[in-house]
Amino acid sequence: MDELAPDTRAALHAKFPDVIPAEGDVDSQGPVVPADQHLAFAEALKNAGYRLYISCVGSHWPAAGDDEEDRYEVATVLRHPDDGKVFWWRVSIATSATVPSLYPLFGGADWQEREQFDLVGVVFDGHPDLRRLMMPEDWPGHPLRKEYAIDTPHAPWR
Amino acid sequence: MTEYFMHPAIHALVWGLPIASVLMGIAAMATWWERKFAARMQARVGPTAVGPFGLLQPIADAFKMMQKEDIVPRDADRFLFNLAPVFPVFLVLATAAVVPFGGYWEDGKYKAWMLAADLDIGLLWILSIAGLMVFPTWMAGWSSNNKYTLLAGMRAVAQGVSYEIPLVLTALVAVIATGELSLPGIIGWQAENGWLIWRLPVLGLVAFVIFFAASLAEANRIPFDIPEAESELVAGVLVEYTGIKFGVFMLAEYLHTALACLLAVALFFGGSHGPWPLYLGPVWLMLKSAILFVGIYWIRWSWYRFRADQLMDLCWRWFVPISLALVMGTSLMVWAGWL
Amino acid sequence: MSSLRARVDPHLDIDLYDADADLMALNMGPQHPSTHGVFRIKLFLDGEIIIKAVPYPGYLHRGVEKLCEKLTCVQITPIVDKHDYVAPMTNEQAINVAFETMLGVEVPRRARWMRTLLAEMQRVASHLLWLGTFTLDIGGTIGGGASVMMYTFRERELILDCFEALTGSRFHYNTHCVGGQRHDIPEGWAKQVRDAFTHIQSRITDYVEMCDGNEIFLIRSRNIGTYDADLALGVGLTGPNLRCCGIAHDLRVDRPFHAYDEIPVNVAVAEGGDCYARYVVRVAELKESCRLVLDIIDGIPEGPISSKRGAKSPIAYKLKAGLQGYTGIETPRGELGTYLIGGGGQRGAAPYRCKLRPPSLHAMSILPWALVGHTVSDTVAILGSLDPIMGEVDR
Repeated sequence: MDELAPDTRAALHAKFPDVIPAEGDVDSQGPVVPADQHLAFAEALKNAGYRLYISCVGSHWPAAGDDEEDRYEVATVLRHPDDGKVFWWRVSIATSATVPSLYPLFGGADWQEREQFDLVGVVFDGHPDLRRLMMPEDWPGHPLRKEYAIDTPHAPWR
Repeated sequence: MTEYFMHPAIHALVWGLPIASVLMGIAAMATWWERKFAARMQARVGPTAVGPFGLLQPIADAFKMMQKEDIVPRDADRFLFNLAPVFPVFLVLATAAVVPFGGYWEDGKYKAWMLAADLDIGLLWILSIAGLMVFPTWMAGWSSNNKYTLLAGMRAVAQGVSYEIPLVLTALVAVIATGELSLPGIIGWQAENGWLIWRLPVLGLVAFVIFFAASLAEANRIPFDIPEAESELVAGVLVEYTGIKFGVFMLAEYLHTALACLLAVALFFGGSHGPWPLYLGPVWLMLKSAILFVGIYWIRWSWYRFRADQLMDLCWRWFVPISLALVMGTSLMVWAGWL
Repeated sequence: MSSLRARVDPHLDIDLYDADADLMALNMGPQHPSTHGVFRIKLFLDGEIIIKAVPYPGYLHRGVEKLCEKLTCVQITPIVDKHDYVAPMTNEQAINVAFETMLGVEVPRRARWMRTLLAEMQRVASHLLWLGTFTLDIGGTIGGGASVMMYTFRERELILDCFEALTGSRFHYNTHCVGGQRHDIPEGWAKQVRDAFTHIQSRITDYVEMCDGNEIFLIRSRNIGTYDADLALGVGLTGPNLRCCGIAHDLRVDRPFHAYDEIPVNVAVAEGGDCYARYVVRVAELKESCRLVLDIIDGIPEGPISSKRGAKSPIAYKLKAGLQGYTGIETPRGELGTYLIGGGGQRGAAPYRCKLRPPSLHAMSILPWALVGHTVSDTVAILGSLDPIMGEVDR
């Protein structure tokens, strides 16, 4: 993770004090942003110059015993095209909740979020057309979930 | 002009059969030659395995295609689908009936012979049949019940119909300049007065170029081959054709190209006229056509293809006005006696 | 038409465009000679003009990300070769650089220089293939395009011979490992590379003439498939697809990896955002990479080629559980990135989640915007100019 520029950091800290501290290290794994602030955080970064949409990564974290529900974690990666700095953050939700879609800000979120929905199962709220991207439309299950066995037998292709 | 043995029908049979066979043979060998030429242009060698220098390759191709399964798509129009390959071959051979392959001098006048039918309106016959050549491509496109072929067929109709106009107009240049409508007459005039390509100072060359380009467009050769655009429409009109039907279509395309060369040579380069004795007439015709053939191959293997609307643009905004100007210019020259 | 193309919404319901229009839905199906792999686009046509285009990727999806969750980096390397199967060197480099960054492994200087050299050689090979297939799409498989393709492939063979001399295989090399290289430079290889690239340098002028000097090529690529810089950035285009819009963003210069901090690169930028601009950028990159190769080949420092030579056990490459990060490098197609989360199978040596960010996927996702208002013939030209490789789009 590349260092945020001082003015960017100050602007972000003003809007999201819990996520980006004023000094000290920003979480190098990517700061965790609450789901309801996800869109605003992305917009703030885009206005600060991080206009290149790199990727959106969903992962499935099964419930570890005392947690009630499995969790999804969605990491969004942006890059600053002028100086090449990269920045990413994470949103952690329960599997029954949704993450706001970044499609209003970045056209690339269209396919990236569809892919994460397809493979991991994360539902993006506000996405214009959330359907499967890689797998066939009638495929059951989300392959990248942890309980989906890699040798799951599938019905032969008609 | 020419002698009729006994009866025109017998004459047509006696000359027509050899000419048709020779033309088919030429079309078949043209495929071999094109592959060799293209290969050398691309730093390859082309067919070498079948026969010496791969000369028997066309025969091998024919056998291969004959033994393939014949598939007609389920909802295709069977009659049109099966008729479409046969049609263009028939049309081209009909056109070739009036092209004289040889010639001789008699009383200071050049008489062309070795043709199946000596029509006084030979050129008109050719151009009207050329107008029909659009039909088989469209038939193939429509009857295949396939969106790709439909698109290709529509493009073919638009292209064929549009490029007929410069074709006819530039052929008209030859007619106006020589005052003859039959091919033997045009060739005779050129033998006595000089080939049109230089006899008509600049107009002859421009007319030839446009005639050549328009006949390339009629024959669907690159750069005008959108009906068959392989990289977009996967063989365009011929997507659903298998085996020998596809082979016959390809043969028809090469026949059409051969005919275009023969016609261009007859109209602008004096046809079978050459500096030496009469029995070398066919040789001169073949030699000049061969040079044009090489030109066609060269263009095909080094240029890209036009998009459909750019092709139409070229025809209607450039070729048609220029051809009209050529016709006017030639008429002026004839009227002023400069010819 | 220009109003349609101003900023079309690819998700607009087709009926809203024109309820009375008789639109034809054409499937440029998975089987097509010009879709650069198995890829389907559903085109809604009004005559020949495209009103809406809906791409359907996923025909080559092989579940690699799931597979990576039980494979160590040593095992992942030959698999990622098969993603961008035209430029396998840079694929391997991407995954290995990602692991090295996360593990904090130092790569020796010789290995970094070798990687730079191999990346630039791979860039030349990839762009030669691109030029051949682009002219093939525009000109016809049996026509002028095929001639250019034959020439560029012949030159590409020289590069593949160099790779074979180094790694043993012409394609899919598996020559990178965490910490450096697996194969060292053999005797006489420098001369082979020098001869090959001097020859290629002289041939590039011929190719440029065959394209730039050809009127038909120009009218078929100018103002075709135009998109503006904002859309490109929002969609995530990188590499030549982004630099054709005037944005000089190249990871080799902005965020140097391998040995690019010691080797200066001139970034090729063009204006216009159309197919011709992408052609201009890639040809400039061809020339630049040839020059770089000839410069680098004489200056590779001596030293070890791997810092973890001999470490066969997967435990050596174990990522800490929960550790996550993103690393991207510049491949011939753009930014190839890897997002790794540690703590997967094989007692933690495999990643928990390995997301590969392919540049071609984003290139494909701009199609609903770029295709509208053009004809079917242009689809092929635009697809070709974006230089997609389905292997990495679908993984």
